[in-house]
Amino acid sequence: MALEAPLSRVQRWMQEVVVHPGSIDEALASKAARAEVPPERLGDVVLPSRTLAPAQRVEIYQRMYLLRMEEALGIDYPALQHFLGPRGFRDLVRGYVASFPSRSYTLNRLGDHVPAFVLTASGLRHRGFCHDLARLELAMTEVFDEVETPTLSAETVAAVPAEAWAAARLRPIAAFRLLALRYPANAYLQSLRRRGHRHPRPLRKDGWLAVYRRNYGVRRLELSHPAYRLLSELAAGASLGEAVTAAARRRSRSAAGQTQLYRWFREWMGKGLFQGIGGWEHPGFEP
Amino acid sequence: MNRWNLPDLGIGVGLRTVHFGHILSRRPAVDWFEVLSENFMDTGGHPRWVLDQVAERYPIALHGVSMSIGSTDPLDREYLRKLKSLATRTRAHWVSDHLCWTGVAGRNVHDLLPMPYNEEALRHTAARVRQVSEILERPLVLENPSSYVEFASSTMTEWDFLSRLAQEADCGLLLDVNNVYVSSFNHGFDPRTYIDSVPADRVVQYHVAGHTNKGTHILDSHSDHAVAEVWELFRRSCRRTGNVSTLYEWDEDIPDFDVLHTEALKARAYREEPAAPPVRVARGA
Repeated sequence: MALEAPLSRVQRWMQEVVVHPGSIDEALASKAARAEVPPERLGDVVLPSRTLAPAQRVEIYQRMYLLRMEEALGIDYPALQHFLGPRGFRDLVRGYVASFPSRSYTLNRLGDHVPAFVLTASGLRHRGFCHDLARLELAMTEVFDEVETPTLSAETVAAVPAEAWAAARLRPIAAFRLLALRYPANAYLQSLRRRGHRHPRPLRKDGWLAVYRRNYGVRRLELSHPAYRLLSELAAGASLGEAVTAAARRRSRSAAGQTQLYRWFREWMGKGLFQGIGGWEHPGFEP
Repeated sequence: MNRWNLPDLGIGVGLRTVHFGHILSRRPAVDWFEVLSENFMDTGGHPRWVLDQVAERYPIALHGVSMSIGSTDPLDREYLRKLKSLATRTRAHWVSDHLCWTGVAGRNVHDLLPMPYNEEALRHTAARVRQVSEILERPLVLENPSSYVEFASSTMTEWDFLSRLAQEADCGLLLDVNNVYVSSFNHGFDPRTYIDSVPADRVVQYHVAGHTNKGTHILDSHSDHAVAEVWELFRRSCRRTGNVSTLYEWDEDIPDFDVLHTEALKARAYREEPAAPPVRVARGA
């Protein structure tokens, strides 16, 4: 006899079973599923087929759920997946989707909390390295999907009077992220893309990186620490004068001379990292 | 012709990332493209740029997987706003999704979960379809799902449910003949009965696809060539509906574009022969 249950209850029950990370028997007997449908009443909710019992039929959906989550996260985190191996990554995904289930219509943002999860996931070796890999790969997916913004043109730069440059503020393009890494995550990612290349060991090694998009392709630019700091200050809204003065104060501890500053700006402009320049035409202008 | 006079766009394929380069550089002679709505709603990057190029050159229909029309959660207004915006941007001929639910309690399991087919589910779903059609300012088109579970609380067949839903909510139908075949195997009904029962004047699109037979059940994997039985169901349905926009789905182990397109063009052999053009007779003859 069919269980008298409103649609909402049937759906809550089925979802609890489908997302349960254990076996189908454990899923059906879980507290959350049992609260909606007692396991002994399963046959009053789902009919058997010629070949499958009710539990086996529901199990098809349950198995596909984790496979789908693993596939989606593997697309966004291929380097992390490679480093952890199939079993390690599957375990990570299993724990991750239990802590951070999708609440969006799109799978594109399913992995937004992976870096945070990696910090606390149980049994994870080389946690710091995994965290940096995840941060890098998250930055890349964010940059991939960001809105397209125009890049600063030579005409716009030429229009800024020489005396106004100190007050000018450079606004980065939307598809731009800065990362300070403690492990060689970028080198690891790079090694995956070169067949036969040796992967770096997951040992401490500081590095700095700009992730940006040019002509719809996601790119990575390795930075020195002084360049990273300068770019960070500019991205945070400091005027060129403020950022350069701060860089000059640090000059005794770095090699960032005036010529070096010029080279950086030329490179960053050439790579299209900025979309606008302001602050000099209106004193109160905030980029 | 369907009741909304939505055009027969011919034989199309799904727009997939692996084919972006081929499509833009070779401009293949495809009649139209079906676009997975969710893949393009929240990106301002390369996929959106490609879609804009494709929409300039080819007719587009949007096909979604996350509307969750059968869910007991509230409709996601933000999702619908973005969907409508995408439809406008691409000049989509119609917008479709599935007769299913994808999550409750604010979650999305990203699967097309089955509905019980009873009066409560029918009332609930019909009301939501009407709401969505109002928001989108166009009739929603719903696809019959493939499923692996049947509910004891169902009081009618899927084809009866779909037919009544289409009538009560005034929506169009995307008839997936492979899904009919898959579900007929999994649930043990005659697929021809299903095909013969669908209201022909509401069918605005077909899906044809391959599947994976696991012995005890069939998975709707979209990973292969369609079997002969599925093509025969397609032929049978075309006899009832006339020629309707047809799309070949291939989502796993996606082959080269030309292989996919060749598979899609097999549909020509099963569609209705177009009526012969009227013979012009000279005046006075």
